[in-house]
Amino acid sequence: MEKKEHPAIEKKKISPDKCVVTGKGDWYFPLSDIYETPDNFAILIDMPGVGIENMTVDMQDNELVINGEVSQETYTYEKVVYNEYNIGHYHRHFAVSDAINRDKIEAKMSDGVLAIILPKAEHVKPRKIIVKVE
Amino acid sequence: MLDFLSSTPQSLGYAGMEFPPIIVSANEDNVIVRAELPGIKVGDLDVQVANDILTIKGERKPNVDNSKVTYLRRERPYGTFARSIVLPERVGVEGVLASYKNGVLIVTLPKAAESRPKQVVIKKY
Repeated sequence: MEKKEHPAIEKKKISPDKCVVTGKGDWYFPLSDIYETPDNFAILIDMPGVGIENMTVDMQDNELVINGEVSQETYTYEKVVYNEYNIGHYHRHFAVSDAINRDKIEAKMSDGVLAIILPKAEHVKPRKIIVKVE
Repeated sequence: MLDFLSSTPQSLGYAGMEFPPIIVSANEDNVIVRAELPGIKVGDLDVQVANDILTIKGERKPNVDNSKVTYLRRERPYGTFARSIVLPERVGVEGVLASYKNGVLIVTLPKAAESRPKQVVIKKY
């Protein structure tokens, strides 16, 4: 018997009209932070349960597409007594502008958090203009 | 710039709920508790079992210095958390195992001998 006490916990399911989602299982929006440093933008995405081998980060046209797949077969020999979260794949995409140097985008995965570093392009970095004395 | 409207979760994630979310399951020998805890150092986690109550405590620290960066979007929760749950069956405190992989904490608690199914021998006279 599945008991759901906290409806607020349920992850936001991706509906088919928002993006193309194919394959078995449910897909969810992972939570993410975006921050800016003088040299980079960075995106942190919570994807618990996703191993590095099941993670894909693609640059397609102007979009950074992130997919993480979760194995859903671990519960075969167990009886679920209490369930507060759903297990499913993760998908999220971000539009990327010219302000980012696309050749140098890096992604790191640790403890279920994906960190993507998007270096700023040279022309948007702040720089000092020297005032000359005439 | 990044287009923030391109993919937005409608629920505000973990606001107003107990953290971490858990799944409790059982097989013949063990009670298994899973908790989604992405981005936590194992050293910041504290798992305790007393009687049949499991307590998960810890802290999720931001991995960058907040004063040095400008946040453009924040959805992920930070801070300390503590959660206690009553386990569905009596467990033996001795053989409890906990592992943390890919942001999921899995605590395996062996059932106490008295709560395992026992074969009853039928005598025939």
